[in-house]
Amino acid sequence: MTDQAQLLPGTLDLLILRAVSLGALHGYGILLRIQQISGGALLIEQGALYPGLFRLVRQGLLKASWGTSENNRRAKFYELTAAGRKRLRQETDTWNRLATAIASALAAQPEEV
Amino acid sequence: MSFFSTIRSLASAFLQRGQVNREMEDELRSHLQHRADDLQRAGISRTEAERRARLEFGGFEKFREEAREALGGRFVETLFQDIRFSVRSLRRTPGLTVFVIVTLALGIGMVSGTFSMVDALIFRPYPVPHPSGIVTLVSTTHDSSFDDFSYREYLDLRDKTQSYAGVIANSDMKAVGFSADASSTPRVTGGMMVSGNYLHVLGVEPQLGRNFRLEEDQVPGRDAVVVLSPEFWRREFGGDPAVINRHVRLNGVEFTVIGVAPEKFPGMQIFDRPDFYIPLAMAPVFSTDLQKNFFEDRDDRELNVKARLKPGATLQQAQNEIAVLAKNFESEYPKANLGRGAAVHTQFEMRTRVDDANWKFTVIFVVLALAVLLVACTNVAGLLLSRGRARAREIAIRLSIGAGRSRLIRLLMTESLILASLGGLGGVAIGYAFVEWFHTFDQVVLMTDLPLALPFRMDTRVLLASLALAMLSAVLCGLAPALQSTRVDLASGIKSAEVDVPGRKRMWGRNVLVVAQVSTSLMLLTAAFLMVRGFQRDLQVGTNFQKDHLLMTTFDPRLVQYNPTQTRQFYKLLTERLREAPGVQGDALMQNIPLGTDHFDGLAFVPDGLQLPRDRENFSSTMDTVDEGYFNTMAIPILGGRGFLQSDTAEAPRVAVVNEQFAKHYWPGQNAVGQHIRLDSRDGALVEIVGVAETIKNENAADFPADFIYLPLAQHPIARLTLMVRSSGDPVQLVQTVKEAVRTLDPNLPMIDTRAYEEYYRNQAVESPKIAMKMVGAMGLVGLLMAVAGLYGLIAYNVSRRTHEIGIRMALGADRSEVLRLVMGKGLVLVGIGTALGLAMGFAVERLMNSMLFDAGGVDALAYVVVVPTLFVVTMLAAYIPARRASRIAPTEALRYE
Repeated sequence: MTDQAQLLPGTLDLLILRAVSLGALHGYGILLRIQQISGGALLIEQGALYPGLFRLVRQGLLKASWGTSENNRRAKFYELTAAGRKRLRQETDTWNRLATAIASALAAQPEEV
Repeated sequence: MSFFSTIRSLASAFLQRGQVNREMEDELRSHLQHRADDLQRAGISRTEAERRARLEFGGFEKFREEAREALGGRFVETLFQDIRFSVRSLRRTPGLTVFVIVTLALGIGMVSGTFSMVDALIFRPYPVPHPSGIVTLVSTTHDSSFDDFSYREYLDLRDKTQSYAGVIANSDMKAVGFSADASSTPRVTGGMMVSGNYLHVLGVEPQLGRNFRLEEDQVPGRDAVVVLSPEFWRREFGGDPAVINRHVRLNGVEFTVIGVAPEKFPGMQIFDRPDFYIPLAMAPVFSTDLQKNFFEDRDDRELNVKARLKPGATLQQAQNEIAVLAKNFESEYPKANLGRGAAVHTQFEMRTRVDDANWKFTVIFVVLALAVLLVACTNVAGLLLSRGRARAREIAIRLSIGAGRSRLIRLLMTESLILASLGGLGGVAIGYAFVEWFHTFDQVVLMTDLPLALPFRMDTRVLLASLALAMLSAVLCGLAPALQSTRVDLASGIKSAEVDVPGRKRMWGRNVLVVAQVSTSLMLLTAAFLMVRGFQRDLQVGTNFQKDHLLMTTFDPRLVQYNPTQTRQFYKLLTERLREAPGVQGDALMQNIPLGTDHFDGLAFVPDGLQLPRDRENFSSTMDTVDEGYFNTMAIPILGGRGFLQSDTAEAPRVAVVNEQFAKHYWPGQNAVGQHIRLDSRDGALVEIVGVAETIKNENAADFPADFIYLPLAQHPIARLTLMVRSSGDPVQLVQTVKEAVRTLDPNLPMIDTRAYEEYYRNQAVESPKIAMKMVGAMGLVGLLMAVAGLYGLIAYNVSRRTHEIGIRMALGADRSEVLRLVMGKGLVLVGIGTALGLAMGFAVERLMNSMLFDAGGVDALAYVVVVPTLFVVTMLAAYIPARRASRIAPTEALRYE
């Protein structure tokens, strides 16, 4: 667990949106999906997921409905709304720009300055 | 997130709090089970798997709380928490809570009661669609800024203006003899003549039948049609829809009912509730002035003209337009219009005209009611402040364990809002009781057979205004204490309840409260005193005529279609017969009675030989038309010359009697008897002044002595007259005698408003103003009581807070009298400042009231002699009692005192 990175503030929402964009999922499923797509590199406290989910639903980016899970249990499934899809695109762009900028800043060598 | 989705989420969170919470629990549980399933698949027992899943999840409660917050509805939940908490803490101090609520209720009740009057008299819009577009057109002269127009002038205004979608005219409400069929005796009802487009332009469509047609207002006397008011329709015809096309008799002429006005249109006037509307073209049936031709004479000004502004037209354009029109009138018809202008006014301007007594009273009542509310608010603010202090320790603890200041302020504000809501409800109840109480006087105030109503009521507008006011006062008197009590020094706050080292800033607020209270209540009391005493003084001055042993009754022979000759004959025979009847000492006929509800006519005249200022065509005075029995019957002394005689006939030289005020005004230092005036203008009819009568009160009991002129009835015939009969015994016993005399002359002629004059006078001139006095008195009393209680509370609290300090002083050797002086000195200074301010405000109010209501007497010293010492004594007691207690405490005890 020690090589897992702590989440930057604000990035959980982005991860949730991304995870859900690949198909409707219930809460636990989202958690697994994030671990899977991040190659298990990101640490998310299980409980912390839910406030984020509810916030996104309230903002109209996700919609939720009850259904039955692969374990044959009742679970609430989340999927993206149109607004959610749009937001995911924007956030992804922003994140990429930021990441590139930080990366190039960190990669700068003394002679380039 | 948009505003609406916030609201929706709040609302759904609020409405389905239980369901939402349940769903959330379900979801979290489902998560745990999924995780446990995975763990179980890895070979762990189910129980162990579930335990581990729960552990991995992290702080369940914490996340649940966070999740709940993320769900929304947090605001609502904290509000509920705050309310629960506030109610609990308010119930811990029931005495204080009740006191605050009652105080607020009284303050708000005064204002909401007053506002129900203000609304009816000033703010309530006309009961028509788009009322703000309706303006009033007035004719202006040197002596009156709100004169009416004549029929001819109305036609010109209607046809030669461009600013309006329609120009309408109506007469005053007139007494009309109504009978459902030809055989029954006519009864007195109130009818209003209106232009044919009146209802249409106002946007009022009949609920039954049809509106007037425009051609029904074209030819004088042709179209006898009438639109009934809904109330009259119900009362007279039982709401029968078959009333349309029925024939009724108005003043003896057959009219056809064509429509019934809608329920929501009680009429355009504040008090008048016309029973029906008749076209202006039927004026000959209802017209008052027999000397003038309604349709032709440009100076027969009987019409109130209103108009609806065209969309896009401004008031300014209308003003300019009518000013030009008035100029044209002046040059085209100099005889009727010299020196006469015109103006356009909004509804608000018409209702706040300076010469309107309603408006004056309204202003005074509003000022007083607001003063009461102000006193109430300072009271409550003071109490909450003290309460905040007493809770300083609790608040300090809350702050130190991490409560946010804004959160605490919100909590305290919730408390004041709860107090204000309860106070507001109580206030509305008091206001309602006030309005009900006021309506018990309807019969006293409205002593007439005509349909009048006092439209004061607690409606939604008043209700909302009152509640808004309650909330405003909550903010005003709750915010300052909340801010102050959350600004404490934590360390010392927890250690002791005695938080503040009396810093200058802290004390300042409370001192301001004391000063505000003293000055405002002083002003209130001064006003109450002035009104009550001014009124009593006015009554004592007397009316200068004899009011007892008089029976009054009014006749209008036009109700049975008499022509002027028949009218003259009727009155002549009636007075002659009555004079010979047993128990009758004398009788008199007059156009208006003194101190009645009707306004006296104005008379335009020029003192003969007087050089008038160039821009002035004439002077004017109020007048009455009376017969030769008037001065004797009313017992008004003739100071010089003579009263009217039988010989002052229509053919004899024209004469007049003026009152002493008039004589002094126009012929100072000379004998007015033998002087001449000319009626209307410089070349009008010559009239000789033959007598000077004592100045009596004519318009109302609180009158300034005013110019007054009497003209003989024989030379100025009037149809509608009031008969006064002087009796040797109880005047009411003469009713039968008069009835008998009238019956022998014409059994169809109704007697209007028959009653003993003294009773009428008492209701009209004494009881009605007394209602106003009672109201002002009540406000003054409530103000005083509240001020006394509040003052006592504030000062006593200030002193008791210094118990600790007093203990130290005494331990250091100060003796009791020194301590007393110290404590009371402070109170005295505050009361002194308050008194000075209060006196200044009192003088201002006195000037205002003198200029509005009473004759400009000097300062009413008694008011101050009574009021100022009262407040002083109260303040001294308030300071003395706790000071004495403090000075008696053993120093050791005082030092330990918390």
